[in-house]
Amino acid sequence: MNPQPALAIRLGKLELAYPTLMGSGCYGSGEEFAPFADLSKIGAIVLKSVTRLPRLGNPTPRLVHTPAGMLNAIGLQNPGIEWYLERELHKYAGRPCKIVGSVAGFEIDDYAYVCERLAARDEIEAIELNVSCPNVAREGETFGCDPDLTARVVEAARATTNKTLIVKLSPNVTDIVAIARQAENSGADALAVINTVRGMAIDVETWRPRLGNITGGLSGPAIRPIAVLAVYEIAQAVSIPIVGQGGIETLADALEFFLAGATAISIGTANFTDPRIPERLVAELQAYLTRRNIGSIQEIVGRAHVEIATAHQYEGDEG
Amino acid sequence: MMGMAMLDLHPRVATTTILERHELADGVVLLTLHAPELADATQPGQYLMAIPPSGEAAATALAVYEAEGKRASILFFVTGKRTRELATLACGDRLDVVGPLGNGFDCSGDARDVAIVAGGVGIASVWLCARELLRRGAHVRLFYGARTAELLVDAQRFADAGCELVLATDDGTRGERGFVTDALVRSRKPELIYACGPSPMLRRIGEIANGFGVRAQLSLEETFGCGVGGCWGCVVPLTNASAQAPSFPPAGRGGSDVVYARICKEGPVFWAHELRW
Repeated sequence: MNPQPALAIRLGKLELAYPTLMGSGCYGSGEEFAPFADLSKIGAIVLKSVTRLPRLGNPTPRLVHTPAGMLNAIGLQNPGIEWYLERELHKYAGRPCKIVGSVAGFEIDDYAYVCERLAARDEIEAIELNVSCPNVAREGETFGCDPDLTARVVEAARATTNKTLIVKLSPNVTDIVAIARQAENSGADALAVINTVRGMAIDVETWRPRLGNITGGLSGPAIRPIAVLAVYEIAQAVSIPIVGQGGIETLADALEFFLAGATAISIGTANFTDPRIPERLVAELQAYLTRRNIGSIQEIVGRAHVEIATAHQYEGDEG
Repeated sequence: MMGMAMLDLHPRVATTTILERHELADGVVLLTLHAPELADATQPGQYLMAIPPSGEAAATALAVYEAEGKRASILFFVTGKRTRELATLACGDRLDVVGPLGNGFDCSGDARDVAIVAGGVGIASVWLCARELLRRGAHVRLFYGARTAELLVDAQRFADAGCELVLATDDGTRGERGFVTDALVRSRKPELIYACGPSPMLRRIGEIANGFGVRAQLSLEETFGCGVGGCWGCVVPLTNASAQAPSFPPAGRGGSDVVYARICKEGPVFWAHELRW
């Protein structure tokens, strides 16, 4: 009998027993899901983003269900780093999976300050830099939309900790690959690809935007092809690992991201459909590798990369 | 439960089987589930998340309507894709649910004369509350409003159990014509009000309770994301002084005297006088 295929992966110094992360803002601190999900069968929880000062968050409504997904505009509601460290963080000790802190901010100094405070805590094994929240009046996303600002945020955060630094990229840019390269060159250990896609829904009865924030971030299967492409292109441009995310619900969805070049996957909105999905995905990945006689998940990472065999376009052809 | 230390009721993902399916009116479906643990654990005003059999949409939050022995039921109006899918379920089909969830109605007080107000599908949240209050010996008046007579579903159940009914319909086809809140404001002052229905109705009940000088427990409805407190999508502004307020620095320390509370986790039932909406 073959040994069990290895699902263990590494993101910088962060070693995960399973290649599955629970997306920031989708999984609370884990305690909310603990009654229905086996946290020992997931790789890591990425905590909800924390900022330097408390944030009330956006007005309501904050969620709209849309075809094959949902729009959200939570607005980084959080009690601020001081209160968070004092009152919240101790609860995350002793979790049966790894805990990744998430940092958001509005100034480069904010990122560095919060990153340093958070990363200094034993409960936190790695840091994700959220430079791509689309729901805070574009201030937060500004960093992730500009290669130079991304570089400065990553450098500032890098200087504060040796723990694994994951940079979460925005898809709401012209050239995500350029930003990915900058993040790598500035010291990122891994990239999370992608955050939500900006979107909007309008209530045709009231003629008003359906979100209190007017605009929101689209998640779910609706954005999966956008995310797969981003992972595929970034994987060709950087050598650090990628955490692929965007509408992953099934084994086939997960495989797409690994084959596109992701070392790990992150599950967000799917937890809202069925909290058993992360555990099911791990079992299905295990079975898939066994069936295919593949020793490790790492063997399939990036295997979909091919050259275009035949040029179908001709000089002077508009199409 | 509400306003007290939140109890860990050990919600689980349960696989249930549809035992009965009734269409109480056009587009109003009652599904009775074989769900022993759910039925045993559910407190008045709690809800469940129904996992869509197709897996193609987010789970749907639904009040647990009845809970008796090994059976629990859900009562819902078909309003969109997700409830349309649930409405296709037949006897013998499987339905996975997460629950019971949330902090429901506090029926433990010593109020002897209570009013329960239900608007439309809000009736689904108040049956267990009515049953418990009646069991405790309270006089229960049910103020029940809907658009039209046929949507006043299952009113007889409440009457049979011993509630005094005050009905209202928008079109006057049954009971008083107009909003059920108008009937409430004209009626004898109750000692305590319980309510579930659309937000404008609940806001009005908050005003009416204030006018009466009594307290009201409101079960709020909002679009849920995860349904278990993880995403902060379904929130309502609450005074930070509320026992239900989530952890947030109080005013004066960079914090606020108002904080957004999760309807799915801290609620769905809140004291009207603590809401800041």
